[in-house]
Amino acid sequence: MKKRIDPRVKLLFIILLTTLAVLAKDVIYMSIILVVGIVINLCLKTDILYAIKRLRHFLSILIFIAIVQSLSIKGGRVLIPIGNTALLSTKGLQFSLEFLLRMSIIVVSGLIATSTDGREMIDGLLKLHMPYELAFMTSISLRFIPVFSEEFKTRLNAISMRGIDIKKLSLPKKIRVYAYLISPTISGCIMRSEVLAKSMQVRGFRAHPKRTMLRELKMGILDYTLVLISLLIAAAFLAGMYKHGILVTF
Amino acid sequence: MQIKLSNLSFKYNKKAPFVLNNVSYTFNTGSIYALQGKNGAGKTTLGKLILGLLKPTKGEIYFDDTNAIKISAGKRADSIGYLFQNPDLQLFASTVLEELTFPFELKKELTDEKKNEISTLLEKFHLAGFEKRFPLAMSGGEKQRLALATIMSRNVDFLILDEPTSSIDSKGQSFITSFINDFVGAGGGAIVISHNDEFLSNLQNVTNLNLDGGTIYEKKN
Ligand SMILES: Nc1ncnc2c1ncn2[C@@H]1O[C@H](COP(=O)(O)OP(=O)(O)O)[C@@H](O)[C@H]1O
Ligand SMILES: [Mg+2]
Repeated sequence: MKKRIDPRVKLLFIILLTTLAVLAKDVIYMSIILVVGIVINLCLKTDILYAIKRLRHFLSILIFIAIVQSLSIKGGRVLIPIGNTALLSTKGLQFSLEFLLRMSIIVVSGLIATSTDGREMIDGLLKLHMPYELAFMTSISLRFIPVFSEEFKTRLNAISMRGIDIKKLSLPKKIRVYAYLISPTISGCIMRSEVLAKSMQVRGFRAHPKRTMLRELKMGILDYTLVLISLLIAAAFLAGMYKHGILVTF
Repeated sequence: MQIKLSNLSFKYNKKAPFVLNNVSYTFNTGSIYALQGKNGAGKTTLGKLILGLLKPTKGEIYFDDTNAIKISAGKRADSIGYLFQNPDLQLFASTVLEELTFPFELKKELTDEKKNEISTLLEKFHLAGFEKRFPLAMSGGEKQRLALATIMSRNVDFLILDEPTSSIDSKGQSFITSFINDFVGAGGGAIVISHNDEFLSNLQNVTNLNLDGGTIYEKKN
């Protein structure tokens, strides 16, 4: 069998990347963190392009927010003037870039979790002394992200089958259409989760207090090495950001 | 109207096998096509291709003489209506009336004439008096009739119905049977995906089709 990286190590990657993303407020540092996240995904062979395709609606909403931010936050040097006021200024641009990078890092680090199957992830969380119910819920909630986007896409298709070309609508109308989609999408997901809950009950979830695992996880030398290296790199990043005064202060 | 499949092939991604393989077939108005095939044969996929929700991997679809690739899914919906196997997936609004009016409101086409048309539709689909009801809380048959009413509000030429009898009782079944017969009798066309032989035997002018191994065969009986 091929050597697999322990899910606990992947969890550590996710936690470190997202923590750094939240703490950093510098475009260059954040770009480096994003690249590191992408490289980890490439090494784990997760399907980044497929994920981007699946998340494209979500990503386009993020980009939309970033554009609004860049135009509404003023300060610094004026980049694009209209009359006496600034349409775009350096501060707005910096703000929206940081927002986009931060969200990208979070999405990219979330992708790391998709390289592990749910059962392995549960076992990893159990080994970190998380109660079984919580570990199970965590892995189920990750599993529900594709369900959610699938439900949303089906509804989006159903809207276009009403003779509405969403791309051609004006922005306020687009927002109205999305509002139409949200509540049936959520109720669809809730209905699916009810089915899941029932099938868990009939299979006797929590009927036995102590569970055993068929395949126990074990951290190997590679895993420990990765933990050490990633902790060191993260510490170096934090130190560097502290020195340059680009750490978010609360 | 004519829906013409010309050497149509489709697969979901590069590594997947072809779901449809070099299909050529022409659907005409004035006929009912009963499309059968095993689970996973590609019936729903074919419907999505015709509607423009999926793009052909190879080959073309023509609406009359126009290559459909140039027509957006929203535009195609003006001439083709699709009834989902599960009508829950095609209802959005908080009332029955809004369900019928909102697409026209968005397109600024909700004229008085359209409003009258919609109340006629409500009568025709036995939904008069239901205007204020919450669509998703209605029965299977009522939801299906509402979904059909939303389709008919656009005066489509073609209907594609995916397993229309799976969520309704026998009364609902006789309603949809006469609805399809009337629609085709008045010059429309229908592709009915169904394995319900009793239901199919009550449809008129039926051409039996079998989708197997990625190709459509006409069944002679
Ligand atoms: N979104 C999808 N991605 C990948 N494969 C799919 C998808 N939807 C359907 N398929 C596959 O395509 C084939 C045809 O599916 P479908 O058209 O739903 O069949 P039918 O409606 O005849 O039961 C099946 O093998 C199914 O697994
Ligand atoms: Mg199907």
